[in-house]
Amino acid sequence: MKPDDFESRLQRQPLRPIPPEWRAEILAAARAAQVPYHSSPVTRHPQPSWPYSILYSLSSLLWPHPKAWAGLAAVWIFILAVNFSIRDSAPRRAEKSAPTTPEVLVELRQQQRLFAELVGPRESRDADRPRMFTPKPRGERAEMMVV
Amino acid sequence: MKMPARQEIERLYDAHAAALFAFLLNLTRAEADTRDLLQEIFVKLARDATLLAGVREERAFLIRLAHNAAIDLMRRRGTRERTKENFAAEIISPFAPTRDPDEKIFRDELADALGELPAEQRAVVHLKLWAGLTFEEIAAVLDIPPNTAASRYRYGLDKLRGRLRPLYEEIK
Repeated sequence: MKPDDFESRLQRQPLRPIPPEWRAEILAAARAAQVPYHSSPVTRHPQPSWPYSILYSLSSLLWPHPKAWAGLAAVWIFILAVNFSIRDSAPRRAEKSAPTTPEVLVELRQQQRLFAELVGPRESRDADRPRMFTPKPRGERAEMMVV
Repeated sequence: MKMPARQEIERLYDAHAAALFAFLLNLTRAEADTRDLLQEIFVKLARDATLLAGVREERAFLIRLAHNAAIDLMRRRGTRERTKENFAAEIISPFAPTRDPDEKIFRDELADALGELPAEQRAVVHLKLWAGLTFEEIAAVLDIPPNTAASRYRYGLDKLRGRLRPLYEEIK
Protein backbone atom coordinates (compact mmCIF):
# COMPACT_ATOMS: atom_id res chain seq x y z
CA MET A 1 0.00 0.00 0.00
CA LYS A 2 1.53 3.28 -1.04
CA PRO A 3 1.24 6.07 1.51
CA ASP A 4 0.04 8.52 -1.12
CA ASP A 5 -2.78 6.26 -2.15
CA PHE A 6 -3.91 5.89 1.40
CA GLU A 7 -3.76 9.62 2.08
CA SER A 8 -5.61 10.48 -1.11
CA ARG A 9 -8.20 7.86 -0.27
CA LEU A 10 -8.74 9.51 3.12
CA GLN A 11 -8.87 12.96 1.54
CA ARG A 12 -11.63 11.82 -0.81
CA GLN A 13 -13.95 10.91 2.06
CA PRO A 14 -16.73 13.50 2.03
CA LEU A 15 -17.34 15.21 5.35
CA ARG A 16 -20.74 15.35 7.00
CA PRO A 17 -22.60 18.49 5.89
CA ILE A 18 -23.67 21.05 8.44
CA PRO A 19 -27.41 20.79 9.27
CA PRO A 20 -29.10 23.53 7.22
CA GLU A 21 -31.45 24.56 10.03
CA TRP A 22 -28.49 25.63 12.15
CA ARG A 23 -27.86 28.65 9.92
CA ALA A 24 -30.99 30.51 11.01
CA GLU A 25 -30.55 29.55 14.66
CA ILE A 26 -26.89 30.51 14.94
CA LEU A 27 -27.29 33.74 12.99
CA ALA A 28 -30.28 34.67 15.16
CA ALA A 29 -28.16 34.11 18.27
CA ALA A 30 -25.40 36.24 16.75
CA ARG A 31 -27.87 39.03 15.97
CA ALA A 32 -29.26 38.83 19.50
CA ALA A 33 -25.74 39.23 20.82
CA GLN A 34 -25.37 42.41 18.79
CA VAL A 35 -28.61 44.00 20.11
CA PRO A 36 -27.42 45.36 23.48
CA TYR A 37 -24.54 47.16 21.84
CA HIS A 38 -26.72 48.80 19.21
CA SER A 39 -29.44 49.85 21.65
CA SER A 40 -27.08 51.42 24.20
CA PRO A 41 -23.99 52.68 22.46
CA VAL A 42 -22.88 54.90 25.39
CA THR A 43 -22.91 52.30 28.13
CA ARG A 44 -21.19 49.31 26.65
CA HIS A 45 -21.34 47.19 29.80
CA PRO A 46 -24.65 47.96 31.49
CA GLN A 47 -24.94 46.92 35.13
CA PRO A 48 -27.20 43.89 35.49
CA SER A 49 -30.24 44.28 37.71
CA TRP A 50 -30.05 42.76 41.20
CA PRO A 51 -32.60 39.96 40.59
CA TYR A 52 -30.60 38.99 37.54
CA SER A 53 -27.33 39.02 39.45
CA ILE A 54 -28.86 36.94 42.27
CA LEU A 55 -30.20 34.44 39.76
CA TYR A 56 -26.87 34.39 37.96
CA SER A 57 -24.87 33.77 41.12
CA LEU A 58 -27.37 31.09 42.23
CA SER A 59 -27.19 29.32 38.91
CA SER A 60 -23.39 29.44 38.91
CA LEU A 61 -23.43 28.02 42.45
CA LEU A 62 -25.94 25.25 41.75
CA TRP A 63 -24.89 24.35 38.24
CA PRO A 64 -22.01 21.95 39.00
CA HIS A 65 -24.28 19.43 40.82
CA PRO A 66 -27.94 20.27 40.09
CA LYS A 67 -29.22 16.81 41.06
CA ALA A 68 -27.48 16.90 44.43
CA TRP A 69 -28.94 20.33 45.20
CA ALA A 70 -32.39 19.24 44.10
CA GLY A 71 -32.16 16.18 46.35
CA LEU A 72 -31.08 18.33 49.30
CA ALA A 73 -33.97 20.71 48.67
CA ALA A 74 -36.41 17.78 48.53
CA VAL A 75 -35.11 16.46 51.87
CA TRP A 76 -35.56 19.89 53.47
CA ILE A 77 -39.07 20.22 52.11
CA PHE A 78 -39.90 16.78 53.53
CA ILE A 79 -38.46 17.71 56.94
CA LEU A 80 -40.44 20.97 57.00
CA ALA A 81 -43.63 19.17 55.99
CA VAL A 82 -43.20 16.60 58.77
CA ASN A 83 -42.45 19.38 61.26
CA PHE A 84 -45.58 21.34 60.33
CA SER A 85 -47.80 18.26 60.44
CA ILE A 86 -46.53 17.39 63.96
CA ARG A 87 -47.02 20.96 65.17
CA ASP A 88 -50.58 21.09 63.86
CA SER A 89 -51.65 17.77 65.38
CA ALA A 90 -50.21 18.40 68.90
CA PRO A 91 -52.81 20.99 70.15
CA ARG A 92 -55.61 18.89 68.78
CA ARG A 93 -54.46 15.94 70.85
CA ALA A 94 -54.31 18.19 73.94
CA GLU A 95 -57.79 19.46 73.29
CA LYS A 96 -59.10 15.93 72.99
CA SER A 97 -57.58 14.81 76.31
CA ALA A 98 -58.72 17.89 78.30
CA PRO A 99 -61.64 17.29 80.75
CA THR A 100 -64.65 19.15 79.56
CA THR A 101 -67.58 17.79 81.55
CA PRO A 102 -68.39 19.05 85.11
CA GLU A 103 -68.74 15.44 86.32
CA VAL A 104 -65.12 14.80 85.53
CA LEU A 105 -64.12 17.99 87.36
CA VAL A 106 -66.07 16.97 90.46
CA GLU A 107 -64.51 13.51 90.39
CA LEU A 108 -61.07 15.03 90.08
CA ARG A 109 -61.63 17.31 93.10
CA GLN A 110 -62.88 14.38 95.16
CA GLN A 111 -59.76 12.43 94.32
CA GLN A 112 -57.57 15.38 95.32
CA ARG A 113 -59.40 15.70 98.65
CA LEU A 114 -59.06 11.97 99.35
CA PHE A 115 -55.37 12.14 98.58
CA ALA A 116 -54.90 15.09 100.95
CA GLU A 117 -56.66 13.17 103.76
CA LEU A 118 -54.55 10.09 103.21
CA VAL A 119 -51.27 11.97 103.24
CA GLY A 120 -52.20 14.21 106.14
CA PRO A 121 -51.56 17.95 106.54
CA ARG A 122 -48.74 17.81 109.27
CA GLU A 123 -46.56 15.30 107.49
CA SER A 124 -46.74 17.12 104.35
CA ARG A 125 -45.90 20.40 106.08
CA ASP A 126 -42.90 18.83 107.84
CA ALA A 127 -41.72 17.28 104.72
CA ASP A 128 -41.97 20.54 102.91
CA ARG A 129 -40.36 22.67 105.62
CA PRO A 130 -36.56 23.03 105.24
CA ARG A 131 -34.60 21.86 108.28
CA MET A 132 -32.76 24.69 110.03
CA PHE A 133 -29.18 24.03 111.11
CA THR A 134 -28.38 25.42 114.55
CA PRO A 135 -24.73 25.10 115.54
CA LYS A 136 -24.09 23.72 119.08
CA PRO A 137 -20.93 23.75 121.29
CA ARG A 138 -18.49 20.91 120.64
CA GLY A 139 -18.92 19.41 124.14
CA GLU A 140 -22.64 19.14 123.80
CA ARG A 141 -22.19 17.40 120.42
CA ALA A 142 -19.86 14.80 122.05
CA GLU A 143 -22.36 14.11 124.79
CA MET A 144 -25.03 13.45 122.29
CA MET A 145 -22.77 10.98 120.48
CA VAL A 146 -22.06 9.11 123.74
CA VAL A 147 -25.74 8.89 124.51
CA MET B 1 -15.69 49.68 17.98
CA LYS B 2 -17.35 48.94 14.66
CA MET B 3 -19.94 46.18 14.77
CA PRO B 4 -19.94 43.72 11.90
CA ALA B 5 -23.06 44.18 9.86
CA ARG B 6 -25.65 41.47 9.64
CA GLN B 7 -24.59 40.70 6.09
CA GLU B 8 -20.99 40.36 7.17
CA ILE B 9 -21.82 37.72 9.78
CA GLU B 10 -23.93 35.88 7.20
CA ARG B 11 -21.05 35.99 4.75
CA LEU B 12 -18.67 34.60 7.35
CA TYR B 13 -21.13 31.83 8.15
CA ASP B 14 -21.66 30.85 4.53
CA ALA B 15 -17.95 30.90 3.81
CA HIS B 16 -16.60 29.05 6.85
CA ALA B 17 -19.32 27.36 8.90
CA ALA B 18 -19.14 24.05 7.03
CA ALA B 19 -15.38 23.73 7.55
CA LEU B 20 -15.65 24.76 11.20
CA PHE B 21 -18.49 22.29 11.70
CA ALA B 22 -16.44 19.39 10.29
CA PHE B 23 -13.40 20.30 12.39
CA LEU B 24 -15.39 20.73 15.60
CA LEU B 25 -17.37 17.55 15.01
CA ASN B 26 -14.14 15.62 14.51
CA LEU B 27 -12.78 17.02 17.77
CA THR B 28 -15.87 16.75 19.98
CA ARG B 29 -17.69 13.82 18.32
CA ALA B 30 -20.93 15.27 19.62
CA GLU B 31 -23.40 17.23 17.52
CA ALA B 32 -24.78 19.24 20.44
CA ASP B 33 -21.30 20.34 21.54
CA THR B 34 -20.39 21.20 17.96
CA ARG B 35 -23.47 23.38 17.66
CA ASP B 36 -22.78 25.15 20.93
CA LEU B 37 -19.20 25.86 19.99
CA LEU B 38 -20.13 27.05 16.51
CA GLN B 39 -22.71 29.40 17.98
CA GLU B 40 -20.19 30.62 20.54
CA ILE B 41 -17.78 31.53 17.75
CA PHE B 42 -20.34 33.48 15.72
CA VAL B 43 -21.69 35.25 18.78
CA LYS B 44 -18.14 36.28 19.59
CA LEU B 45 -17.68 37.57 16.05
CA ALA B 46 -20.95 39.48 16.21
CA ARG B 47 -20.01 41.14 19.49
CA ASP B 48 -16.54 42.24 18.51
CA ALA B 49 -15.66 43.29 14.98
CA THR B 50 -12.05 43.89 15.95
CA LEU B 51 -11.54 40.14 16.16
CA LEU B 52 -11.15 40.02 12.40
CA ALA B 53 -9.42 43.37 12.02
CA GLY B 54 -6.10 42.89 10.26
CA VAL B 55 -6.64 39.16 9.78
CA ARG B 56 -5.42 38.01 6.39
CA GLU B 57 -6.48 34.36 6.53
CA GLU B 58 -10.03 34.31 7.85
CA ARG B 59 -10.32 30.53 7.65
CA ALA B 60 -7.13 29.90 9.61
CA PHE B 61 -8.13 32.46 12.22
CA LEU B 62 -11.60 30.97 12.65
CA ILE B 63 -10.19 27.43 12.89
CA ARG B 64 -7.90 28.69 15.64
CA LEU B 65 -10.91 30.15 17.47
CA ALA B 66 -12.73 26.85 17.05
CA HIS B 67 -9.78 24.81 18.28
CA ASN B 68 -9.37 26.98 21.38
CA ALA B 69 -13.09 26.78 22.12
CA ALA B 70 -13.07 22.98 21.77
CA ILE B 71 -10.01 22.59 23.99
CA ASP B 72 -11.65 24.86 26.60
CA LEU B 73 -14.76 22.71 26.51
CA MET B 74 -12.78 19.50 26.93
CA ARG B 75 -10.80 20.94 29.83
CA ARG B 76 -13.95 22.19 31.53
CA ARG B 77 -15.53 18.79 31.37
CA GLY B 78 -12.49 16.74 32.27
CA THR B 79 -11.38 13.42 30.94
CA ARG B 80 -13.61 11.29 33.14
CA GLU B 81 -16.83 13.00 32.19
CA ARG B 82 -15.88 13.04 28.52
CA THR B 83 -15.20 9.32 28.52
CA LYS B 84 -18.45 8.62 30.34
CA GLU B 85 -20.37 10.73 27.86
CA ASN B 86 -18.72 9.04 24.93
CA PHE B 87 -19.89 5.69 26.22
CA ALA B 88 -23.37 6.98 26.97
CA ALA B 89 -24.04 9.06 23.88
CA GLU B 90 -23.84 7.89 20.31
CA ILE B 91 -20.60 9.01 18.73
CA ILE B 92 -21.27 10.86 15.52
CA SER B 93 -19.10 10.20 12.51
CA PRO B 94 -17.60 13.29 10.89
CA PHE B 95 -18.15 11.72 7.47
CA ALA B 96 -21.19 11.92 5.25
CA PRO B 97 -23.47 8.89 5.26
CA THR B 98 -23.45 6.69 2.18
CA ARG B 99 -25.51 3.86 0.72
CA ASP B 100 -22.52 1.97 -0.68
CA PRO B 101 -21.89 -0.81 1.88
CA ASP B 102 -18.12 -0.95 1.28
CA GLU B 103 -17.79 2.80 1.60
CA LYS B 104 -19.97 2.77 4.70
CA ILE B 105 -17.76 0.17 6.37
CA PHE B 106 -14.63 2.11 5.49
CA ARG B 107 -16.03 5.43 6.73
CA ASP B 108 -17.26 3.92 9.95
CA GLU B 109 -13.91 2.28 10.56
CA LEU B 110 -12.09 5.50 9.71
CA ALA B 111 -14.32 7.46 12.09
CA ASP B 112 -13.60 4.96 14.87
CA ALA B 113 -9.88 5.04 14.18
CA LEU B 114 -9.88 8.84 14.21
CA GLY B 115 -11.77 8.79 17.48
CA GLU B 116 -9.00 6.70 19.03
CA LEU B 117 -6.32 9.26 18.13
CA PRO B 118 -5.30 11.79 20.78
CA ALA B 119 -7.04 15.13 20.23
CA GLU B 120 -3.84 16.92 19.18
CA GLN B 121 -3.07 14.31 16.49
CA ARG B 122 -6.67 14.24 15.34
CA ALA B 123 -6.68 18.02 14.94
CA VAL B 124 -3.52 17.97 12.82
CA VAL B 125 -4.73 15.05 10.67
CA HIS B 126 -8.06 16.78 10.07
CA LEU B 127 -6.50 20.12 9.16
CA LYS B 128 -4.00 18.49 6.81
CA LEU B 129 -6.34 16.06 5.07
CA TRP B 130 -9.71 17.79 5.07
CA ALA B 131 -9.00 21.50 5.59
CA GLY B 132 -6.09 21.47 3.15
CA LEU B 133 -3.70 23.44 5.35
CA THR B 134 0.08 23.18 5.09
CA PHE B 135 2.19 22.25 8.11
CA GLU B 136 3.19 25.90 8.48
CA GLU B 137 -0.45 26.96 8.52
CA ILE B 138 -1.36 24.19 10.93
CA ALA B 139 1.52 25.25 13.16
CA ALA B 140 0.27 28.84 13.15
CA VAL B 141 -3.32 27.80 13.84
CA LEU B 142 -2.49 25.43 16.71
CA ASP B 143 0.38 27.54 18.02
CA ILE B 144 2.96 24.76 17.75
CA PRO B 145 6.24 24.44 15.80
CA PRO B 146 5.88 23.16 12.22
CA ASN B 147 8.03 20.11 13.03
CA THR B 148 5.65 19.19 15.81
CA ALA B 149 2.71 19.53 13.44
CA ALA B 150 4.46 17.26 10.89
CA SER B 151 5.37 14.62 13.47
CA ARG B 152 1.87 14.59 14.92
CA TYR B 153 0.51 14.08 11.44
CA ARG B 154 2.89 11.19 10.77
CA TYR B 155 2.09 9.50 14.07
CA GLY B 156 -1.63 9.91 13.49
CA LEU B 157 -1.50 8.72 9.91
CA ASP B 158 0.57 5.66 10.88
CA LYS B 159 -2.05 4.70 13.44
CA LEU B 160 -4.84 5.11 10.90
CA ARG B 161 -2.92 3.10 8.35
CA GLY B 162 -2.25 0.28 10.78
CA ARG B 163 -5.87 0.13 11.78
CA LEU B 164 -7.36 0.43 8.28
CA ARG B 165 -4.80 -1.50 6.25
CA PRO B 166 -6.71 -4.84 6.08
CA LEU B 167 -9.95 -3.12 5.17
CA TYR B 168 -8.26 -0.85 2.66
CA GLU B 169 -6.55 -3.77 0.94
CA GLU B 170 -9.81 -5.67 0.80
CA ILE B 171 -11.96 -2.98 -0.79
CA LYS B 172 -9.25 -1.29 -2.90
